[in-house]
Amino acid sequence: MIIENVLTAIGDLATIQTFLLMAIGAMAGLIAGSIPGFTIAMAVVLTLPFTFGMDAVQGIATMIGVFVGGLSGGLMSGILIGIPGTPSSVATTFDGFPMARRGEPGLALGLGVWSSFFGGIIATILLVAVAPQLARIGLEFQPWDYFSLIFFALTVTASLSGGQMTKGLIAGCLGLIIASVGEDDINGVKRFDYGIDYLGEGFSFLPVLIGLFAFSQLMSDVRDRLGARKALSEIKDVSIKIEHRRALVQLVKSWINVVRSSLIGVFTGVLPAAGSSISNILAYDQAKKASKHPETFGTGEPDGIIAPESSNNATAGGALITMMALGIPGDVITAVMLGALLIHDVTPSPSFIAEQPTIAYAIFLAFFFANFLVLGLQSVVLRAFVLITRVRMYVLASIILVYCGIGVFALNNIVNDIWTLAIFGVIGYVMRNLGFPLAPMILGVVLGPIAERWLSRSLALSTDISEFFTHPWSLFFIIVSAFSIFFPLYQRDRGHKPWTVVYVPLFLLSLTVPLFMMEGLVRPGIAGLMIAGSVYLLSQAPKAIRRIQSAD
Amino acid sequence: MGALNRETIISIVLLLFCGFLIWSGQQIRIVNFGELEPRTWPLAVSYVLTGFCLIYFFQAVTGKIESFTEEGDDNPEFQGIGGFIKKYTNPIICFALYFAFLYTLPFFGTLIGGTLLVFSLLTVLGGITPGKLVLHAVIAVVSVGAMWSIFTFALRVILPRGEIIPSVMGPTPPTLPTFAQSAMGGLA
Repeated sequence: MIIENVLTAIGDLATIQTFLLMAIGAMAGLIAGSIPGFTIAMAVVLTLPFTFGMDAVQGIATMIGVFVGGLSGGLMSGILIGIPGTPSSVATTFDGFPMARRGEPGLALGLGVWSSFFGGIIATILLVAVAPQLARIGLEFQPWDYFSLIFFALTVTASLSGGQMTKGLIAGCLGLIIASVGEDDINGVKRFDYGIDYLGEGFSFLPVLIGLFAFSQLMSDVRDRLGARKALSEIKDVSIKIEHRRALVQLVKSWINVVRSSLIGVFTGVLPAAGSSISNILAYDQAKKASKHPETFGTGEPDGIIAPESSNNATAGGALITMMALGIPGDVITAVMLGALLIHDVTPSPSFIAEQPTIAYAIFLAFFFANFLVLGLQSVVLRAFVLITRVRMYVLASIILVYCGIGVFALNNIVNDIWTLAIFGVIGYVMRNLGFPLAPMILGVVLGPIAERWLSRSLALSTDISEFFTHPWSLFFIIVSAFSIFFPLYQRDRGHKPWTVVYVPLFLLSLTVPLFMMEGLVRPGIAGLMIAGSVYLLSQAPKAIRRIQSAD
Repeated sequence: MGALNRETIISIVLLLFCGFLIWSGQQIRIVNFGELEPRTWPLAVSYVLTGFCLIYFFQAVTGKIESFTEEGDDNPEFQGIGGFIKKYTNPIICFALYFAFLYTLPFFGTLIGGTLLVFSLLTVLGGITPGKLVLHAVIAVVSVGAMWSIFTFALRVILPRGEIIPSVMGPTPPTLPTFAQSAMGGLA
């Protein structure tokens, strides 16, 4: 079945036009990812307008090209100028920049490029293997389960908020409100329109997204008058060559690091709210701990480049697993990707892989091929990157601002959308400056209508609210949501406050209830193991509490 | 203005906004068919939002919330209204130019309006010298010309052409949102 789906997807994907578009997307992603101040999410949203006219597979393949390109692009500026192009390449600079400064920029780039490639390939293998299995579980879902799943995704906003949990939750709710402006999907009644047609039509997703994210980011980039007039870097040497052979030899020697870091990347990507900005640092830390010479880290150690670059590309695969199999975005990039898929009438959900296997496998394969394209294009883009970094930020920002307007107009051919872009640009900029995170707001805008639709379907089947607690999967996600809301507090207080000692065992014990309610032997068996684990943790709790109290 | 004060003021503004949202939600028409009324979801979200805003308010008042500060916030140069304007000059001008571009779009169209916008942004952000003016003009013409050509000829998007370029490809789509048209009508 998998082979049949893969072959059909290859048929759809393997055209010269699609590969050309993917290559353009990958190149755009590489360049955008390599420019400090530009994010991968921004690169993806800015590419979206070009994909409106394409069919779903072509459009999505192009977006995947941008996504993978963006992840790999960050390493160039990190290694050559010491400023990570994206947060996912922060740890790459720790050893990449020192290696480049001691005269080996070609080797540093080679290690980064090939590590990214292998990280992506390992993630693809896991994506193809794991996502369909998860999706099989999704076939058991009923409307109550779907709603609780989306509710869980919304609670992730708390974790996406960094240190500003309350502000993140407020931003998430504001996103839900923005999504509910205009005609309601179910009854066709206008909401929050105040008699104004513009509001009655509601806000298109893309202008809101570009306004909140790209427009406001550009305004932040040009706020400092002097900074805006400076070139991004003063690199003069355009003759840097990637040393592929030396890098490959080193990678073979460090294969354990490659595999370990890639697995860290995939598992971090699968977890909601834990994206590549976290995985690259986790992988770096593990590589340092596992090294026989941890003292060399930070001075140009090859393993210090291999670990973050393998993991950040692998995280993309992990995030795609969650998005494709469950329909929930793990971080802001996948939230943007989810929005991109919705614009192409592709709605990832637990039943998506089973219902639309061709498109699903085309996405898997596009991710696979994108890694090869990025590998091939990196040498070409390196030259472009060196030239682009000589451009002043204000020049780039001015051109992109106009492009944003033209791009959102192309979606529906309505000038209202450009007004929406500008209005949300102001809102996004104000929120940024007041310390409100924008990622939860984006999640709210994307997931709001989906949540309302499933709530409506659930209530159409039964108005009994207890159904949400009697369906095992629904209860499962409600419990996970409850703990997810408090997860940032747990992270903050772990090791300092006694209550954190019982957080994990209580979480495990609570999850056993829905697992015991499920049919078969495997899941109740897992629940039994979880009980054993939580009992063990609880038995250790008094000792841990005493340790915390004595430390205080 | 102290950081605590700022957070408290923001929370009060948000609470007022929540009150407005709840009032607006209650004005949504009841249809009496289907199990989920059109007002239920937005009202539920508004109540939850109010709850979070109340928490935010109490955190701000008791100083429990981590105050958000930006680089340069403590710089005396940026204190007061004058300092605020000085600090945000570039974004304020950019937004003003963008809204001016949108307002004049029906007249100039995308090609001319976009070129003027890029040129204005470049000049405001990059500084004015004779050499720079020429460079900015070239960048504006080439960049917007390229974008316009790609969208018009390659992607077949009919961009607003404006009144000063004769329409050759059918009617121009409406270019102002209803609220702006109402405002213009009101002004007239």
